[in-house]
Amino acid sequence: MEKLTCALLVDDDQTNNYLNKLLLSRLQVTDKLLVALNGQEALALVEEHCQEATPSCPALILLDVKMPVMNGFEFLEAYAELSLPQKHAIIIVMLTTSLHPQDMERVQKLHVDGFLSKPLTKAKVEGILETYFHRHLPKE
Amino acid sequence: MKMPEPEVNVTALKSENEELRLRLQEAEDLISAVRTGAVDALAIQGADGPRIFTLEGADQGYRTLIEQMNEGAMLLSQEGVILYGNAALATLLRQGLEDIIGTTFAAFVPTDFQASWQAIVAKGWDAGKGKGELPLRTPAGQLLPLSLSANMLHFNGGLVLACILTDLSAQHEIKAIQALVAEQNAEISRQQQALKIQEAAQQRIEQAAAEVSRLLEGIPQIAWTANPQGVTTYFNRRWFDYIGQSGGQPEQVWWYNYQHPADRDAAAARWQQSLETNHVFEAEFRLRNHAGNYRWMLSRALPSYNERGELMQWIGTCTDIHEQKMTQVRIDQAQKQLQENNAQLQRANIDLDNFIYTASHDLKAPISNIEGLLHALLEELPSAGPNQPEQSVAVLLTMMQDSVDRFKRTLDHLTEVTKLQKEYAAPTAWLSLGTTIQDVCLDLAPLMQELGVQLEVAVADCPAVLFSEKNLRSVVYNLLSNAFKYRAPDRVPQVRIWCEATSEYLKLAVQDNGLGLNLATHQHKLFAMFERFHTHVEGSGIGLYMVKKIMENAGGRIEVQSEVGVGSTFSVYFRRWYT
Repeated sequence: MEKLTCALLVDDDQTNNYLNKLLLSRLQVTDKLLVALNGQEALALVEEHCQEATPSCPALILLDVKMPVMNGFEFLEAYAELSLPQKHAIIIVMLTTSLHPQDMERVQKLHVDGFLSKPLTKAKVEGILETYFHRHLPKE
Repeated sequence: MKMPEPEVNVTALKSENEELRLRLQEAEDLISAVRTGAVDALAIQGADGPRIFTLEGADQGYRTLIEQMNEGAMLLSQEGVILYGNAALATLLRQGLEDIIGTTFAAFVPTDFQASWQAIVAKGWDAGKGKGELPLRTPAGQLLPLSLSANMLHFNGGLVLACILTDLSAQHEIKAIQALVAEQNAEISRQQQALKIQEAAQQRIEQAAAEVSRLLEGIPQIAWTANPQGVTTYFNRRWFDYIGQSGGQPEQVWWYNYQHPADRDAAAARWQQSLETNHVFEAEFRLRNHAGNYRWMLSRALPSYNERGELMQWIGTCTDIHEQKMTQVRIDQAQKQLQENNAQLQRANIDLDNFIYTASHDLKAPISNIEGLLHALLEELPSAGPNQPEQSVAVLLTMMQDSVDRFKRTLDHLTEVTKLQKEYAAPTAWLSLGTTIQDVCLDLAPLMQELGVQLEVAVADCPAVLFSEKNLRSVVYNLLSNAFKYRAPDRVPQVRIWCEATSEYLKLAVQDNGLGLNLATHQHKLFAMFERFHTHVEGSGIGLYMVKKIMENAGGRIEVQSEVGVGSTFSVYFRRWYT
């Protein structure tokens, strides 16, 4: 399987980032893996790497909802304001524990490619690759 | 003297006699004329010629009288020309005599009255006397009412009409004055009449007031009366006892002086309102007593009317309501306290809901991390071989996984509870109990088979209920599964589900022959969250809590009857709604 050039994990939970990194590297999903601890850091990374089509512009962003400084919603709102040439090529999937009905309403007005409930598993990663990138993990 | 000669003849004698007789006659006529005033002057032939003797003394008085009198006088010729007029006539006609004498009197009579005038004149000439009333027009155009009488007289050998003109305007004035006097007299008599009526009314009022006072003295409250203007006219003995005065005239400012400053304006406004509308006066205020303490009074006053429906006075009382008022204040305070507590509890409830939501939400992340780490650890461990330590590690890992699973289940239940609390406005539909029970039985079929449950469903005659479909399922599921799970191990589980409708509620009852509960010790915990009474059966301790919540949120309730070793009956009451 051809690996993704770059993926971005956005979560303030270091343990969760560690586990997701472990999972993604074990599954050999991506060449490069960026980690941001909140929305603001993620926004800075996207602005830095995605002005042009570079190998370090993430093709997949896995976004947590509850984060300090800038949460997932606020990131999406700020992201919508950005004008990037590669925007259409960036897939954003939200990782949530459970969505409050009020949050559900809010998120529907923002651009998100998909929702997945935590924790991230091999099956879920497989689903993402198939749905958004038409790639299949090699059979073990 | 010489003797008469015989030659004087008889004829001459006779002739001389006749002449003498004529001269005597003439003298007698003259005397008569002088006496009657027909002549006013005599011409006497003297030695020096004729001498004129005016007979002043004869008619001086009449002339003066005529000249001086107030009435107008005039002599008219047969042609209607004024031959003579007195000064009063000139005054009446507002012209000098010299302008009047010689003119036609008819010229002074207005056109409309010429006929009347002619009638008087004709009567004067024909019958010797004429009389009538008519107005004259003065040269200035004024009309002057007159009474006119005409008498035909012989004058200077001719006939004249002597007229007397009486000014009637004075008489008219008198009439007007008389009318005025009459009117005033009538007014005075009317007023006197009115006064009499008022006096009588006043007397009645006083009698009534005296009667009222006599009655008011007898009542145990402070009593008072006021006139229709609102001025207090009477207080009974209680009032003076209360304020500590020996008695006397009511002061006009009494309310103001004795009422509590905080209450007096409102009471005065009420009183004013009652005076304007004649509606019952009712006010509560504090009144200062002889010791200087304020006590709450309820003051009421009713208007009192006489038989003609006129407001006579206000009769009022002040009733001491101090104790009641104080009790009321305490009740109000307690109620306020209660409301505050209630609000506080509601806030605490909401906080609790939010806490459960947040806790369940926030606990999910670390537990799923632990699970993830557990799996990562599993990957790191050398594959389990025949050696013991690794075997025991595997057991530990399995137990850890069990704990994680249990933790996650609890979190799921908590999430269910918080969802329920946020689903007050869940969509409702008319649902058949029978259908819901059938559906639930399908889900529970494996359990029923395993336990050999005998289930009797008797809900065919039940009316439909208006309820959230999901919630109804949840209620039925929990009640039935509980009935199955908590069976008595020594007998075949028999469960009966039936319903009963009243006008207000539809009751659904689930009766089992299971273990039963000691309600005396457990009832208050039965419907609480995470309470479990049996440990031998898998349970979350959340089912009955959910059922109770669902029923109460929908305006219904849950009841339980139970006997240890005999069985339990859980009854839920659905509030009935009518379309």
